[in-house]
Amino acid sequence: MAKERPPKGLKGWAQGRSLWILQFCTGCGAVELPPVMTSRYDMERFGITPMATPRQADLLLITGYLTVKTLKRVIRSYEQMGEPKYVIGFGSCTVNGGMYWDSYNTIKRLDLYLPVDLYIAGCMPRPEAIIEAFNRLIEGIKQGKFNGWIRYKENLRWYKRNQAMIMDIRKWSIDKKLAEEVWREVQEERRKIFEQATVPHVYEYAERISEVG
Amino acid sequence: MELEKEQAVVNLVKEAFEDAEADVQRARRVRIKIAPNRVFPLVAFLKANGFNHFVTITAVDWIKDGEIELIYHLWSYTRKVHVMVKTRIPRDGGKMPTLKPLFNQAETYERDVHEFFGVYFEGNEKLDRDFILEDWDGPPPMRKDFDTRRFAAEFYGQEDIESDLLKLKIQPYKGKLMQ
Repeated sequence: MAKERPPKGLKGWAQGRSLWILQFCTGCGAVELPPVMTSRYDMERFGITPMATPRQADLLLITGYLTVKTLKRVIRSYEQMGEPKYVIGFGSCTVNGGMYWDSYNTIKRLDLYLPVDLYIAGCMPRPEAIIEAFNRLIEGIKQGKFNGWIRYKENLRWYKRNQAMIMDIRKWSIDKKLAEEVWREVQEERRKIFEQATVPHVYEYAERISEVG
Repeated sequence: MELEKEQAVVNLVKEAFEDAEADVQRARRVRIKIAPNRVFPLVAFLKANGFNHFVTITAVDWIKDGEIELIYHLWSYTRKVHVMVKTRIPRDGGKMPTLKPLFNQAETYERDVHEFFGVYFEGNEKLDRDFILEDWDGPPPMRKDFDTRRFAAEFYGQEDIESDLLKLKIQPYKGKLMQ
C-alpha cells in the first residue's frame, strides 16, 4: 500500500483556501477569535469560517490551556474530524503549560497528546499573529508540508499511551480495543505516581487566621 | 452606632446559641465559630431569620492542627449581611452532616469539597459520583500535603524549566540599563 501523503498542488491550494474551524474553544484564547472573525481582520477572506460539527471541520484550534477533563472531549472531537485535518496550538499554555506549569490538572505539552501542526506563541496571541499563522498554514498546505493526521495514525500507539497516562481513554477513544490494551499497560506507572503524590511535609503558615486578616 | 446591623446578627446568634463564638469582622461581614454537630441547627436558625441565600462552602486545610475548617457562606438580602459559619473537623476520617435538607444547592458544594479536600458528608447520596476530577485515583489535590509541583512534573512529563533556561544560555541582563 502506498504511503499516505498530504494533498499538494492544485488539491492543496483548494484545501488551504477553504479551511473550516471546529468551534471548540478552550481557555482564554477564544476571546481573540471574534476580532479575527469580524470585519477588522476578517478571516473569511481566506475562506476560513467556523463550523459547528467536527465531521465537517478541517481545522482544530486549541485556544489556550487544556484541563484533563477538556482534553478528553478534544481527543474525541479530533478523532471524529474528517481527513485532512490540522491542529493549531494557541499561546504558551499549549507549548509548555504557560502560567499553569505546576497545575495538577492541566496538560503541559499539547504535542504529547495530539499532533500539532503550528504553534502561535504569546499569552495570548494578538489577532495579527493568528492571521499570520493562518497565512502560513494555507501556504504550508499548498506545499503539502503539514501532515498531522498522518503522524497521528502512524504513531497511534505512542499518542494513546501518552493519553492513557493522564486519563481513562477507554471511554474517549474510537478504537476501543487499542485503548483497552494501552490502558492496562500504564496502570502500574499511574498508580506509582499517584502514590508518591502525598508527601509528609508541613507548610509554614500563620498561627491564627485573624492575624492574616 | 456603626455596624449596627452586623451587631444585631451577632446578638441574635448569641442569644439562641450559647456555644457559638460570634463577632463582627468588618462592615457587612459576621463570622461565627461553632462545633460541627451544631452547624445544622445554626444554619436552620439563620435561614429562618432572613439568611436565605446559601452562597457556597469553602474549606481550609490546617495541616499542623490535623483539622479541616469548613466555612459556610450565607447572605441575607433583607439584612445585607454576609455570615460565615466556621467549624473544624478532624483531617482524617472527619464527617459532617449534609445541609441538603435546608438548601438543595449544598449537595453540589459538598461534592466539590469532597473531591478537593476529601471531607465526607453524611447523607449526601451523590457524593461518590465523579464531579470535577474525573477518574482521579490520587489523594485530594487541594490538601496541603499534596505535592502539586512534583505531581505535575511526573504526571504530565513537565521538563525542568530552570535547566531548560541553562540549556538555552539565557542569563539575566547585567549591563547598564539605558536611561
